[in-house]
Amino acid sequence: MDESLFKYIEFSIYGASILLILIGLYGALVKKSLIKIVIGLSIVDAGVHLIFVAMGYIRGGTAPIFSPGFENDASRMVDPIPQALVLTAIVIGFAVTAVALSLVIRLYKHHDTLRIDEIKNLKW
Amino acid sequence: MVGTPVLLVVIPLLAAFLIPLLGMIWKELVRIIPGLVLLYMFILSATLLNQVLHTGPIVEVIAGWRPPLGINLVFSPFSGFLVTLMTFIGLMVWIYSYRFKQNVDFEPAKKYFILLMMLVTGSVGIVLTGDIFNLFVFIEIVGISAYALTAFYTERNSAEAAFKYLFMGALASTFLLLAIMIIYTQLGTLNMADIASKMPEMNTTYKITALVFLLTAIGIEAEMFPLNGWAADAYTESPGPIGAAFAGIVAKAGVYAMVRIIFTMFDVDGTMQFMLYIGLITLIVAETTALRQDRLKRMLAYSSIGQMGLIMVAFGIGTAEGVFAALFLMFNHAIIKPLLFFSGSYLVYNSKDKFIHETNGMGKHIPITSILFALGAFAIVGLPPFAGFWSKLSILTAAADENMIIIIALILIVSIIELVYYLRVVNRIYFFKMAEGVEPKKPTLNALFVMVTLGVIILLVGFYPDAITGVLHKASGDLLDKTKYIQDVLLLNP
Amino acid sequence: MDMIYLIFLIFLSGAVISWLAGKVNHVLQDILFLASVIVPSVLFYMNVSVGQEVHFKAGGIDLSWGITDFGWIFSLIVLGLGVLAAIYSVGFMKGKERRGYFYFNYVLSIMSMLGILFSKDFVSFFIFWEIMTWSSYLMVIYNGKHTQSIGIKYFIFSAIGAYAMLMAIVISHSVTGNFMIADLITAYPVLSFNLQLLIPILLLVGFGVKAALMPLHVWAPGAYSNSPMAYTSVFSGALSKMGVYGLSIVMLSMISHLPEGFWFREVLAWMGAITAAIGTLWAVKQDDAKKLLAYSSVAQLGYIVTGIAIGTELSILAGLFLAVMHAIFKSTLFMAVGAIERQTGTTNFTEVTGLIRKMPWTFLASLMSIIALAGIPPLGGFVGKWMLYESLITSDHYMLIILVFFSSTAAFLYCYKFLFGFFLGQEEKEWAHVKEAPVLMVIPMLVLAGLSFVLGTFPGLILKPIDAGMQALGFAPTNQHLWDTSILFNSWGNQVALQPILYAILGIFVVFTIFLTIKGYKNTRYVTTKDISSSGEVPKEHENLTFSINFFQPFMRAVEPVMRRQIDKYYNGFANGLEALFDFTRKIYTGNGQTYAIYVILFLIIMLLIKNNVFG
Repeated sequence: MDESLFKYIEFSIYGASILLILIGLYGALVKKSLIKIVIGLSIVDAGVHLIFVAMGYIRGGTAPIFSPGFENDASRMVDPIPQALVLTAIVIGFAVTAVALSLVIRLYKHHDTLRIDEIKNLKW
Repeated sequence: MVGTPVLLVVIPLLAAFLIPLLGMIWKELVRIIPGLVLLYMFILSATLLNQVLHTGPIVEVIAGWRPPLGINLVFSPFSGFLVTLMTFIGLMVWIYSYRFKQNVDFEPAKKYFILLMMLVTGSVGIVLTGDIFNLFVFIEIVGISAYALTAFYTERNSAEAAFKYLFMGALASTFLLLAIMIIYTQLGTLNMADIASKMPEMNTTYKITALVFLLTAIGIEAEMFPLNGWAADAYTESPGPIGAAFAGIVAKAGVYAMVRIIFTMFDVDGTMQFMLYIGLITLIVAETTALRQDRLKRMLAYSSIGQMGLIMVAFGIGTAEGVFAALFLMFNHAIIKPLLFFSGSYLVYNSKDKFIHETNGMGKHIPITSILFALGAFAIVGLPPFAGFWSKLSILTAAADENMIIIIALILIVSIIELVYYLRVVNRIYFFKMAEGVEPKKPTLNALFVMVTLGVIILLVGFYPDAITGVLHKASGDLLDKTKYIQDVLLLNP
Repeated sequence: MDMIYLIFLIFLSGAVISWLAGKVNHVLQDILFLASVIVPSVLFYMNVSVGQEVHFKAGGIDLSWGITDFGWIFSLIVLGLGVLAAIYSVGFMKGKERRGYFYFNYVLSIMSMLGILFSKDFVSFFIFWEIMTWSSYLMVIYNGKHTQSIGIKYFIFSAIGAYAMLMAIVISHSVTGNFMIADLITAYPVLSFNLQLLIPILLLVGFGVKAALMPLHVWAPGAYSNSPMAYTSVFSGALSKMGVYGLSIVMLSMISHLPEGFWFREVLAWMGAITAAIGTLWAVKQDDAKKLLAYSSVAQLGYIVTGIAIGTELSILAGLFLAVMHAIFKSTLFMAVGAIERQTGTTNFTEVTGLIRKMPWTFLASLMSIIALAGIPPLGGFVGKWMLYESLITSDHYMLIILVFFSSTAAFLYCYKFLFGFFLGQEEKEWAHVKEAPVLMVIPMLVLAGLSFVLGTFPGLILKPIDAGMQALGFAPTNQHLWDTSILFNSWGNQVALQPILYAILGIFVVFTIFLTIKGYKNTRYVTTKDISSSGEVPKEHENLTFSINFFQPFMRAVEPVMRRQIDKYYNGFANGLEALFDFTRKIYTGNGQTYAIYVILFLIIMLLIKNNVFG
């Protein structure tokens, strides 16, 4: 692959994931709807996952599997640990989102609204 | 040999998944199994603690991969002390909530105890693990079960509290993941001991950035100001025993993680001062807020946050005496705050809003609960001859040895505020007339047993502090000896 | 086991047992209560000698208990008064509720006071100090009234004092490396100047609160009058003396070694004198006997502090002698008020009058104590005041003596009011049924009144142990050049022989009594307050015509400008301001989850921006 193109792609992946994090934070911190906040949090998660996987990538790396026909040099393999970690983090993020959405349902039933600034029975 | 440290994580996790299955065989098993598990964990951790106090830490390697490659659990005097404390509080919570309110029915009880098991798994895991990503996973396990437990009562504002908790928790996990990513890309390892030994090589900017992310993430769990917006709500709206578990188990795990990061992993100057001052701010803000509360559990919650701040101050002093004082405070807080939550729950048992004035005149109707609440209140503000006094004395002595006179003065001024709001409640319990329509609820036998046990411990430590100080000294020595931690883990002989 | 441990063990278990015994039998409870006060007191005087010590460790801290000569003087107050007031309490508490609660706290108070005197290290000192504080607090709120105002105020001030003391304790630990009081005293002269100032100031705040010293006295009137009278006699008589005990140690063994200590002594002496003046004026104003005595206690403690602060041999002798005497007569007076309250249900002068024929023994005890309080020979107060005046004159404190003299003269007003209001004057129908208090209450009063009589004539009995205590603190012996058994020597070469004074006054008294009996008694007609018809006006039935109303109106009008500024109001304003501030600051927790999230992000951003300044 062309060196400069590669650099461009790498850069854009980092840029995109940071953008994702910022978009997600915007959703979570500015939008008033509970659903949008949950979506925002998921987007932040996605951004972090993406940047983490991208970090573990090496140029021209291969899949980190020792198997017949692919007797690669271990140094050329992509680092498998970030991928494993991100996989775990995705599962956790999924669980958190599920809990969050179920709480949103409860909140809607209880308060008849989805605006977070109207749900403050507990304060001070 | 009763078992190895890994069982402390595996058994409750397994139990959490087995509870629904066993419940199909006999419904009562749902309630009994957690108790047996917690009892076993307590005995196991106490035995192991007794052992490591004499022989040195146990480093348990998972699946045969030796550190720094594999995952390991470290049962040192410090972590072992905390695990023993946590499992003991877990046991108390279980006895107390055996048939507490909605736990009388099968379905809620099943959910409650599954979640409680997960909460214990996660908290014990946080303390035992020697791997930073495992820390992340355990924090998330604690988080998810804690969100669900906070929202346990459907009729209260619990969903609101749980959502706030979840919101903050989700941000915390994001920052934690970012910090782990920075550390991993820089050092190429996830093992805490390995990170600690390689830390001097790390680029300072990356190091400090990672530290800031970690502190923010863990600060949310450790109820650090200004990251503790969720805490009071979660304490207030969760069931009474879960409030106790938050104070006695979860918050302790959060502080542990913070201390591990600051004392062991990072070698940055200024972390101690940061902890000292942020702890002081937390203490002051939380206690002054508690002064103006009109709901009992919310007052206890802010008091609990304030105590966490005090613990941070004690750690922030940074000397051996300071760490000793911090551990003593953690012990006392873990014993006294659950007692206050347990007895407080019965003082406002039948009330919907849990107002403080609804405790008026309870002293006549539920005398033992009331006197235990008063004992807890006296103990937590540090009146001698109760347990809290010795920890207060040790933190002040530690601060005085470092010439932190202003800090001593601030701690003492805040203590007066604390004294005022606790006395107001105790006066109400004993000297005010009960309002019309308030129905006192007699505590059940198991609840009474738990409260009396905790009360006896408070008196015991108050009159005979040596019962605990020996362990605390070894634990604090263990935490401060960073080189030994690294050696124990990395130079492990199979 | 050492006898010292046994004494404290009996106290501690006695407190718990006499509480629980109430569930079984009330008589048994009374007996157990008396036993748990009397038995350790007897054991103390029989088996514990001065200088005996025990050492042990708690929480890795060396603790040591033992009694010094100086502490021994105060043990007389604590245990002597403790035993007598305990006997009184049994009578006082008969038929009242919460007896177990009362007994428990009573025994603990006595134990903690003795413990304070025993403590040779700061940690046990502080522990006993705090036990004393909360057991007395629980007594203050015994009747359930004003718990959130008077009770909390007492505890806040006590806590301020205790925590100031705790701060001094930990600072001294950082200097000496242990908690021994003696080590601090040894190390004190070579400390840095800042610490030489800071440690005594903090300690004085701590002790000043209990001794009700001027800006810290505001808790005292409420707390004294709100606790049950049987306990107030100990509270004002013995418990406040613990503050005096501490003050004495700080002043005599620390400040006196300081070249700049002069200013300390002056300031403290002035504070004591001002306390005396203010306390006296407020006492005159009161219509309630409890309040009157409470303010009077504040005033008397002011004299004691002045005496100790001046720091000459004579003034210390005077201060400590007054401390003992005040314990005796003030507790008698509180007991008398307790007896009146028990028999009539009120302690207001404007309601109760003419009790002299109903409660003659109570009157006798009150009369003698009032005479002692006013400082008239041959009762104890005279000796103390005489020595105090002399020491003030010989040490050239002329402005101080004017103040002290003024307040001790003004004290006559409230002494008169107390005696006249309750016992003399017309008899009201309403109180026709009133009987003398039970024998258990009368005996302690009479014993104490007799004591103040004996000590007034033979002050040497108590000056001797005081002298021994002062020698233990490093003073020269004062016997034979300042006092003898029944004679006071003064620096102008004269002497006050107390026995002839006693005979003369007794003679006058007897003659006067005989005269009155023969001449006036037969022709006396008893009238009620309503039995008047001056200027053709007939008083209405419900009108209160008791002469105690507006008793000293002209005098009060004269001193009103002094009394307009109440320190209490400033404290209340400060506390309210703080609560309002906290109410404002807690609004940080808005209740909106999103705000909390924004806090998190802001915290993160700020930390990232200043990270290089914070972490190096």
